[in-house]
Amino acid sequence: MDYHALNAMLNLYGPDGRLQLDADHAAARQYFLQHVNQNTVFFHDLDEKLEYLVEEGYYEPEVLEQYSREFLHRIWDLAYAKKFRFSTFLGAFKYYTSYTLKTFDGKRYLERFEDRVVMVALALAAGDERLAEHVVEEVISGRFQPATPTFLNAGKQQRGELVSCFLLRIEDNMESIARGINSALQLSKRGGGVALLLSNIREHGAPIKKIENQSSGVIPVMKLLEDSFSYANQLGARQGAGAVYLSAHHPDILRFLDTKRENADEKIRIKTLSLGVVIPDITFELAKKNEDMYLFSPYDVERVYGVPFSEISVTEKYHEMVDDGRIRKTKIKAREFFQLLAEIQFESGYPYIVFEDTVNAANPIAGRVTMSNLCSEILQVSTASTFRDDLSYEHIGRDISCNLGSLNIAKAMDSPDFGRTIETAIRSLTSVSDQTHIRSVPSVERGNEASHSIGLGQMNLHGYLARERIHYGSEEGVDFTNIYFYTVTYHALRASNRLAIERGTAFEGFADSAYASGEYFTKYTERTWEPATERVRQVFADAGIAIPTQQDWRELQAQVQAHGIYNAYLQAVPPTGSISYINHSTSSIHPIVAPIEIRKEGKIGRVYYPAPYLSDENMEYYKDAYEIGYEKIIDTYAAATQHVDQGLSLTLFFKDTATTRDVNRAQIYAWRKGIKTLYYIRLRQAALEGTEVEGCVSCTL
Amino acid sequence: MISEKLKLVSRVQAINWNRIEDDKDLEVWDRLVGNFWLPEKVPVSNDIPSWGTLTAQEQELTMRVFTGLTLLDTIQGTVGAVSLIPDALTPHEEAVYTNIAFMESVHAKSYSSIFSTLCSTREIDEAFRWSEENENLQRKAEIVMKYYRGDEPLKRKVASTLLESFLFYSGFYLPMYWSSRAKLTNTADVIRLIIRDEAVHGYYIGYKFQKGLQLVDQAKRDEIQEYTYDLLTELYENEEQYTEDLYDGVGLTEDVKMFLRYNANKALMNLGYDALFPKDQTDVNPAILSALAPNADENHDFFSGSGSSYVIGKAVTTEDDDWDF
Repeated sequence: MDYHALNAMLNLYGPDGRLQLDADHAAARQYFLQHVNQNTVFFHDLDEKLEYLVEEGYYEPEVLEQYSREFLHRIWDLAYAKKFRFSTFLGAFKYYTSYTLKTFDGKRYLERFEDRVVMVALALAAGDERLAEHVVEEVISGRFQPATPTFLNAGKQQRGELVSCFLLRIEDNMESIARGINSALQLSKRGGGVALLLSNIREHGAPIKKIENQSSGVIPVMKLLEDSFSYANQLGARQGAGAVYLSAHHPDILRFLDTKRENADEKIRIKTLSLGVVIPDITFELAKKNEDMYLFSPYDVERVYGVPFSEISVTEKYHEMVDDGRIRKTKIKAREFFQLLAEIQFESGYPYIVFEDTVNAANPIAGRVTMSNLCSEILQVSTASTFRDDLSYEHIGRDISCNLGSLNIAKAMDSPDFGRTIETAIRSLTSVSDQTHIRSVPSVERGNEASHSIGLGQMNLHGYLARERIHYGSEEGVDFTNIYFYTVTYHALRASNRLAIERGTAFEGFADSAYASGEYFTKYTERTWEPATERVRQVFADAGIAIPTQQDWRELQAQVQAHGIYNAYLQAVPPTGSISYINHSTSSIHPIVAPIEIRKEGKIGRVYYPAPYLSDENMEYYKDAYEIGYEKIIDTYAAATQHVDQGLSLTLFFKDTATTRDVNRAQIYAWRKGIKTLYYIRLRQAALEGTEVEGCVSCTL
Repeated sequence: MISEKLKLVSRVQAINWNRIEDDKDLEVWDRLVGNFWLPEKVPVSNDIPSWGTLTAQEQELTMRVFTGLTLLDTIQGTVGAVSLIPDALTPHEEAVYTNIAFMESVHAKSYSSIFSTLCSTREIDEAFRWSEENENLQRKAEIVMKYYRGDEPLKRKVASTLLESFLFYSGFYLPMYWSSRAKLTNTADVIRLIIRDEAVHGYYIGYKFQKGLQLVDQAKRDEIQEYTYDLLTELYENEEQYTEDLYDGVGLTEDVKMFLRYNANKALMNLGYDALFPKDQTDVNPAILSALAPNADENHDFFSGSGSSYVIGKAVTTEDDDWDF
């Protein structure tokens, strides 16, 4: 049988009524026998391979030249000695379809998984042999997995950037809008998602040069961006993808949301651009009192306050702006706004939500966070750029870029040296920041040079909990999440502090941060954080992982205040699609969507994926996200959020029996619990009884 | 012709959704309304690069399959579902048929939007000409049309169920096949949305058929049963030839036939009858069978498609309790 058919058997029960997990192993095996092995270029030895790949322009010679030939042999031997095998069909299929180096005609494979891992390690370690070996150890054992742009591109000569995410501001002038579109094209070409802030653009009908009713608002800008993203993609490897964020109090907010309506007119319909809404606390307060919410003209706000709309805290200035006759305003019912939000989410999954005030209260860096990114986990401060008449920069502001990588929680808990695992991850990510110079977008280059921001993520939480026979979202599950993130945060900060000491420099603006003032540390030095349940105390003890004490934090605080930290931002938990399949993890810190997930993507088609550690015997620990419900998911995220300096992608899952009210309740609950952002809404509709396919695993949920 | 037959069940009585005679009507109505969609939401243009990787023969096959499906949806939208209205047992059943008829027209149009995105006008015209000239396709249309025009309500429902649950599937096979091989995945999203609808249509009409069957005597029941198997056999034989016409060139014929027999059994099941083909003759390729489940549970990647799981939500206003913080 061919490997696709074998893989699809995962979704069908066997004749004995059991899961056909073996069929997937057979599919992975057949994929190698029938396809990969036959299509892999053969080399006699490593020297021949490297010589060929460099000469033909596949590998970057600069990466290899940093090391001795002898060391290269040693590190390749180290990687191959680990006997890595893909444990799922999707893992292997995804790797060979999307990551591995292929001949220029795209027909034959030039790398195995081990080769990719070594090249990534060599590129990131930048000549540091010890670090290179550590990276190989961490990646090949599955503990650390760099994000797609890094893992896909590092060490290749024909490649895109290693960075995952870009966030750009757009100000209320044509130069800035045009620069935004240009940057969107440039950054899409180099890979990575781009998000743009539209909150500062004047609304539909606003005056231009004092002439009334001239502006056409944010929708045409969105159209231009959507087309730009579909035009540019990274050598076809990744589709260009973008998001736009708008303040809930921008007058175009309803038009903005209606672009995703099922029956939206072609002229305004937005198909592939992602939407996000920035909601301040005041909007919730107004909804609570069932009052109107005013929408403010960004054009007038900027004239009155002298700063762009996004730099104003709407919560703080709300009543002042309502009373100010110079600011044009319209109003809608706050509760209707939330309901509309939920309606659009039902139809399209969008928009994402940023809880603006929660984000800014938790932000340790001086300045304002006004938006998020394509996956809603990046939350950093930015500043505006200004332009001259000839379109050149008058002042280069700071825009945001972030490179990501995630730890597999289950594997990290098995690590022989938990602290080193995290430190290696932090060093790898920092290296990407150091090596990245996006010259085509000076504001991004400037931002990266100043902040060295990185985003260490986590995945496989549900897989780990199920393996340990702990229910996702249970008291123990939430307790574990809290202590795990608490411990990770300690080690991440310590690693960044070591980097600052080694390099003799902290990130720009450290002196104004909550790290420098010590304010950041009070929650760790003034109270004890330890497991609340015996089970969690046990899993950490069994793993031999020490939970940082107050004394540990005090010592770290002293070090940080003395020497600073190298990275302005350290953690961000992305949704981890592709890399969690390669790594055989559950995505992010979400629950699974199904024990046997049906994955659909443009490049791989429809493929079936078994949850890690799943068997017929431990099924009860694999309740899916739709069954688990939003409270437990939010509780879990809330436990993690309190330790993470940036954000965490949080998808909400509903059955199709849910109403907009249920969605609103979930949003209110999330906001109350201190969640910073919400990502997609996903819906699952069960087949009408009587129309299912017999013996189908996904139908029996 | 239809208008002569079209008599409202209750001439003076307005339809009252608060007095449901058959709960199934409301259940199906809600499901169909929630499932409303338009082809414009799916970014089929993302499939253009993938379309370019198909061979000329595969492209031709794909176009032909879709013209065949367009034809069937045209029949079902303009004649089939409409012809069922006069036979409705409840006013709510009438309403459900109007919804079915409308969505069939949406389906027919969505093939056109796939065409216009992927192919040139000349190729499209060519494919439509093929559909007009292909004997087996035309024959299939004739057989079904004949029963839609007859005076037997139960037979109309049989024909309709066979169309919805059986005849469409020789065409559905191909996009499912492509999607399992990472080809035309957005087109497959459109087809999944159509399958999601057709699964409900076939099920509902079959259910109403079984209700109708309870109202007639045994002799009539026997007659209808015999008629059903005869019609299915006639259609099946024709469908085998149609399948050969289409799929011989790419070597998938045997696999598609398994799939036909599987769906023929499924159609009979919807009508409350026993399967015609034994299990070993309905051994569908797992990749296709797994893809057939009408559940909207694909965990799609938002960056390459819009997915096929979103529905129109039920709007319910929040209450003060919800805002208690």
